[in-house]
Amino acid sequence: MKFISSFFLLITVAALAKAQKTAENILPVDERGKLIYYEVVDVKIPKDSLKIRAINYLKKQNKELKYKSTQGDTAFVATGKLVINKTLLVMSHPSGEVLYDFQVEVKDGKYRFWLTDFNFIPYQRDRYGNFVASTSVGIPLEKDPGKLNASQWKEYQVQTTKYAKELATKFKVYMANKTPIVAPPKEKTVVKKEW
Amino acid sequence: MKIKSLLSVLALGLGTTAYAQDATPLQISGSVDTYYKYDFSKVGNIKTSFASEQNSVSLGMIDLALKKTTGKASFVGELSFGPRGQAQSIPNAAGAYDETDNSFHIQNLYINYAFSDKFSMTAGYMGTFIGYEVISPVGNFNYSTSYLFTNGPFQNAGIKATYVFSDKVSLMAGLFNDWNAYQDFNGVSHIGAQLMIAPVKGWTAYLNVLSGYAAGAAGTGTILDLTTAYQITDKFKLGLNAADYSVSDDNGGYTGAALYPQYAFTPAVSLGLRGEYFKYKGVAAAPDASVTSITLSGNIKAGGLTFIPEVRFDNDKDFTQSFVKSSLAPAKSASQFSLAAVYAF
Repeated sequence: MKFISSFFLLITVAALAKAQKTAENILPVDERGKLIYYEVVDVKIPKDSLKIRAINYLKKQNKELKYKSTQGDTAFVATGKLVINKTLLVMSHPSGEVLYDFQVEVKDGKYRFWLTDFNFIPYQRDRYGNFVASTSVGIPLEKDPGKLNASQWKEYQVQTTKYAKELATKFKVYMANKTPIVAPPKEKTVVKKEW
Repeated sequence: MKIKSLLSVLALGLGTTAYAQDATPLQISGSVDTYYKYDFSKVGNIKTSFASEQNSVSLGMIDLALKKTTGKASFVGELSFGPRGQAQSIPNAAGAYDETDNSFHIQNLYINYAFSDKFSMTAGYMGTFIGYEVISPVGNFNYSTSYLFTNGPFQNAGIKATYVFSDKVSLMAGLFNDWNAYQDFNGVSHIGAQLMIAPVKGWTAYLNVLSGYAAGAAGTGTILDLTTAYQITDKFKLGLNAADYSVSDDNGGYTGAALYPQYAFTPAVSLGLRGEYFKYKGVAAAPDASVTSITLSGNIKAGGLTFIPEVRFDNDKDFTQSFVKSSLAPAKSASQFSLAAVYAF
């Protein structure tokens, strides 16, 4: 009897631990109900340096992020793409992509950034055997996919969360870089009227 | 000693893997499909490609594709086995179209080299760039295929260059073998081109041309093709395929158009219609003949699995399709129901 009780207790604990782990593996939602990765970071770096670093980072990530615009003097917006891979033991191929917005705001001594508006676009194998987007309109990642595709959708959310955390880590390392930031020199203008 | 050798081989393998930094993992993908079809005249009337067997739980094919990219070079090799990918496709492994010779069918076998982000060249045997529908059931919304698909090329072997001007415009031009031929017995005899334009988000159009003199043909065949699809809202998509094929010196050909409206009720459940008009051009003084067809299909997806229930009505006013009633008397129309299961991995 003792053995059976212990066995069921163990199963319950394992199930609870698994449920908690899954919940931790998925991003929280913001006030709009959208999945979001949000972080405020305190650093002892002036605003101007943070600004240059943020823009440099967004502009250097050619394939991962596309720099979009600057809002005011201290907020920067980029769009990004993450390819979701279906991996089963020895085989792997892309099954879709998640498009998202990446925003950064800087102040003296701190900055905040967030990834949100995640939209999933399924891939389909085309006539040449390549995986390409099957539609141009994405499905919000927080949307309930229904029972038929629930487990697959959960996997997309888990992969996106893992990616967002890794991107955040890389971004924070870049922003904390100790090497001095040099503002790009202004382009020299050729004086034509005075000589 | 044996363990030592094994470890050495393993270390060598790991070293090689680590060295090949620009290589992406080998992609393995494919599909399996099966179907049941019932023609309401109790005879397999509709003769477009595939899904042709009456009142039988029949096989489509197993399709296996490999893709590997290393740096700027990549290859795709795709083979299929089963009726859809063997005798019902052209050609088979022997390079001939023979219903009795069941071997395997090459869907794609080509090598690509991307000289830059904008310019690439491809050589080998490729799915055709002409038309809306493809051999693989994974690439089509409807399970049965159109007259435009059945009468057009399935694949083209050749060498082609593609230049991407922007996200909205690209151009492909190439030299090709005869349609559906691994080897061209009268030399590389076709030229082809494709202009891709994407005027607005969600709308893509392909203008295609393929022209050449096939071995043993009566004249030079030229096909002009427009294939376009527009995702108008997140739920509604509209596709269109229009094509004209002419063989010189009044040696026949075809012309036709098909419209593909599709509505997604949820990401997993959608409904689509195909309405098609198709005309065979008469050779010399022979009259033209036309066929119309309406196909209504559902797509119900669960993971990699898609169920495709489908009803289809064809009208053959010129009696060219040999439709018959259940009494075997000639008929102008034919109708069928089918249910297909397609699993993509």
